[in-house]
Parts: sequence; structure tokens; C-alpha cells
Amino acid sequence: MLYAYLQLYPLRSLNGPIRRVAGLLVLGWLAACAPPFDPDTRLGVDVPTRAAVAGVPLIKQDAFYCGPTSIAMVMQWAGRAVTQQDVAALAFSPGAEGTYLADMIGSSRRLGHLAVQVSTFDQLLSEIAAGHPVIVFQNLGLGIAPVWHYGVVTGYDFGRDEVYLNSGQMDQMVMPFALFERTWRRGDFWGLLVLPPDELPVRVAQTDVLSAAAALERVGQVRAAEMLYETGAARWPDNWLWPFGLGNARYAQGDLRGARRALRRARAIDPTIPEVRANLAHVERELAG
Amino acid sequence: MGYLNLTKKGVAIVLSAQLLLATQAVTMAQAEMLGTDAAISKYAAHADRGFLLNELQRDDVQAAIVAQGVDPAEAAQRLAALSDAEVASIVMQIEDGSAGADIIGTLFTVFIILLVTDILCFTRIFNFTRCVR
Repeated sequence: MLYAYLQLYPLRSLNGPIRRVAGLLVLGWLAACAPPFDPDTRLGVDVPTRAAVAGVPLIKQDAFYCGPTSIAMVMQWAGRAVTQQDVAALAFSPGAEGTYLADMIGSSRRLGHLAVQVSTFDQLLSEIAAGHPVIVFQNLGLGIAPVWHYGVVTGYDFGRDEVYLNSGQMDQMVMPFALFERTWRRGDFWGLLVLPPDELPVRVAQTDVLSAAAALERVGQVRAAEMLYETGAARWPDNWLWPFGLGNARYAQGDLRGARRALRRARAIDPTIPEVRANLAHVERELAG
Repeated sequence: MGYLNLTKKGVAIVLSAQLLLATQAVTMAQAEMLGTDAAISKYAAHADRGFLLNELQRDDVQAAIVAQGVDPAEAAQRLAALSDAEVASIVMQIEDGSAGADIIGTLFTVFIILLVTDILCFTRIFNFTRCVR
């Protein structure tokens, strides 16, 4: 597709660019001597030397659809029959010929999945090692000539110095760590974990997961929210907010007895919270009347 | 005496009726369940604080999204799915034009530069380049 542009410019106009390229080349060689990615100094956590997530399908993207395609790949990995067109209807902005970061998050939620951001190598590699694919926002080009792109990281190998991505454009994309880091840094280290609601991230703050669960409620995905609150309550049994959310999500679906059970659990964890007592009283009143 | 007794009784009735009404009013006040969202932002540390958009600002953002070719009803639904901080990030991206798209649309002037930078492992645009390490 890129070759089409070759005819647009007469050859003599190349003189300028070539000179600039020569300059860049010299600069480039100097900078290319940067040391390779060293997991011992760069990571704050221990992750395996190599890891790969199995079963992430490769989908060839339609024009400009790398965002929707990335989400479709992750959702199909999770067993959902979601196409890139389904996602695009909820996320793509035709005028921008692209997909905004926030719409990536919003559309995943509206499709009933947990969506939380990740922004460090610690998080990225821990999630991959735990078997979770991670969507990353990259600038594959340069700051002055940006080429924005979403890809799905599916694996890495420190020994071979390689990061593996399903990119929607080609088949599997393989990058050395240093190159991957450059492209990801230009995308401000924006990463997105999209998981089914019965699966929790391994290295994301509890509050972020809670907020993601509440966001599912907000978009009307109460069933998914309920499942996520249940999963969270099992993982973090000391936090009353999980059974509290669970109670509210069950109440929203008309499950009064289930809501009462969950709210009682929340009250048992912390009997002093007025919100828990108020909602429990509310549910008990409805059950009595 | 009888008269006084009657008023005492009357006062008692009025007072107890008032008490009943008052407690009734309190329970009526919470006609809805208290939301999880509000409880999280009250009790759990929240990174989104400081980003508070009012209704009018959200309308502006919605107009900006519609200007990107999105159906108005769909734009409203997209906004409803987002926190204020996330909405703010859309505004930033509309301004700096950084929506994720792909290599389609790259101009030839930058083609050569990117080809070289690809080979130098700075960028990764073309699938036929091999990065020199």
C-alpha cells in the first residue's frame, strides 16, 4: 500500500530528504549503541525468562481498525464471538480515522469485560506471564512523523531479546525489547488489560479493579459487574467494598435475597460503614414489605 | 381535671404522631440504594480526583466527538461509559490528533526516513525491514 506514494513525488525533491536522512543516520548509529533491555535492572518484580499467551487469534484488520481489531482479538481469546466491526461501532471515530484511548476502555466495558490500564514493564510482563494478553498503544513512527498503532502483546523472551505482538496489520510482529520500548514510550506507556469478569489481573491496584467493576455497573453491564465483584470478594476478602458492590449489583437485577446476603457479608467485615447499613436496611425493608 | 387529662392525651397523640412521621420521613429520604461508584470514590483512593467535568463541559466533548463523524446518540453512550478523567483524555487526543490508526496514510517524505529508522531499530513501520542490532 505504501508503494502507491512513490509516484507522488518527483525524484529531484529527494535531495533534501536524503541529506536529512544522512544526518539522521549518523545520529542513529550513535543512539543505536544503547544497551539492550536488561530485565535485572529494569524490572521490580520477578517474571519468567520467557512467556507466551496461547490462543490469541490473528485477525487481519480493516483500514484504520487496529484498535477495534486488538479488542476483538482479546475478546475472542476469552471465548467471546466479537468481531472488529462490533467493536468499531462502539469505539471508532471516522473523522479521526482512528480510535481514541478512552473509547478503547469504554467499548470493552460496554461489551461486558473488565478493562484496566497498565503502564509499566512490571505490569505488562507479569500479566503476560499470568496468561493475559495486553493491548498496547504505540507510535511505530517518530515523534515528528507519528504512526499510531494498537497491538496485542502475546509473549516475550529475554534470552532471544524479543517481544511478540499480534498487530492486525501483519501476522505476528516480533520486536527486540529496545525497539518495543521506544515505540511504547512514544505511546506514553499506555497499555490496556481486557479480561472476562471472572478473571482478575495479577499486578493492577485493587482500587483500579474496583473502579472498573463500578464502571461496568454504570454502562448497564450489571451481570458482568456482579461476577467481577464476586471474583474480587474472593481475592480480597478483607475489603467490604467488594461485597457492597456485589449487593448493589444483585439488587439492580432484582435479586433481593442475594443482595441481603452480600450486604451482610460487607457489614461483617466492617460494621461501622453507614453506606452498608443504609443499603442493608433498604433491602431488608423491601423484603419485609 | 377531666379537661386537663384530655389535653395531656391530645399532646401525647400529637407528639407520637409527629415522631412516627419524622421516622417515616427519614426512611423515605433514602428511597434509593447508595451507589458503589460513590462509595469507592469516598473510601478508596482515587486517581481520577481533580478531573471533574460539569454537564456543560461534557456536552462540549460530545459535540467534538460528533464532529469526528460519530452518531450523536452513540457519542452520548460512549461518554456515559467513561469517567471524567477518561473524557478529558479524549479531548487531549482530539487536539493532538493521536488516534490509533495504522501505517496507511504515511506520506512519502517520511517514508524514507522511517525506512532508515526502521533499519536502525528506532521505529517499526514496514514488515520487510530487518532491524540491525
